[in-house]
Amino acid sequence: MHEFFLSTSILLCFLVLLCLYRGTVGPGVLNRIAGISAIGTKTLVILLLMGFIYDRVEMFVDISMVYALLNFIGTLAVAKYLEIEGEV
Amino acid sequence: MWPEYTEQSDNFGGKNKMIRVTDDVIIKTIARVLTPFIQVYALYVIMHGHHSPGGGFQGGVILAASLILLLITHGWAETKKKFSETKTAVFCAVGVLIYTGIGVLCIFMGGNFLDYGKLGGLLMVIPPEARSLGILGVEIGVGITVMAVMFSIFFDTSTGGNSPEDETTSSLR
Repeated sequence: MHEFFLSTSILLCFLVLLCLYRGTVGPGVLNRIAGISAIGTKTLVILLLMGFIYDRVEMFVDISMVYALLNFIGTLAVAKYLEIEGEV
Repeated sequence: MWPEYTEQSDNFGGKNKMIRVTDDVIIKTIARVLTPFIQVYALYVIMHGHHSPGGGFQGGVILAASLILLLITHGWAETKKKFSETKTAVFCAVGVLIYTGIGVLCIFMGGNFLDYGKLGGLLMVIPPEARSLGILGVEIGVGITVMAVMFSIFFDTSTGGNSPEDETTSSLR
């Protein structure tokens, strides 16, 4: 079962690279925000898969939940800042 | 990408728009529903700091994140009822007082600074359990201070140091 989790993690890391491309060179601010948010959700899943690989999933669940919460609040704050500054 | 530095963009045109209430009903509803769950999770992180990842600092940051979420969605006038500037200053000091108070109490009980094992005589428990309770008390103090300081940093940077007037309007601009 570890091979399945490991191969899924590697595939998700490849998808993170694609999102990173959209986050760095993507045209406009909204594409960048969407790319960074997608990286956040993928990181969450990768953390959980690492927890299954190391057989300590009860610890990695805590970290990934914190990551999800802070990712949501950060995206909201950036969106509000851009709305104020008139970038969008 | 970054805006020009002018007198107007320094304090958001004197209107402190970052902490104004938003118009969007979806964001306001999600923030209102999500804030208590974030706070309960932060308390869990603080309480289980000594046998799972987390602790006082991380739990305090999550508590501050819930307050910041409330501030950027519901505005300062609504957040002030929950967590005013006076409470921020008081909580900053009370957390440090709890931390150093437990540490100095250990000195009075005959140990070193933060030597929790010596608190067993005071708490009527064996020393290993006293160590667990002492670490829990110290982490509660750290969490309170971190929550207040994080909230204060966000509030001060978003207002530019000016104390905002009461925002009763619901328009963003």
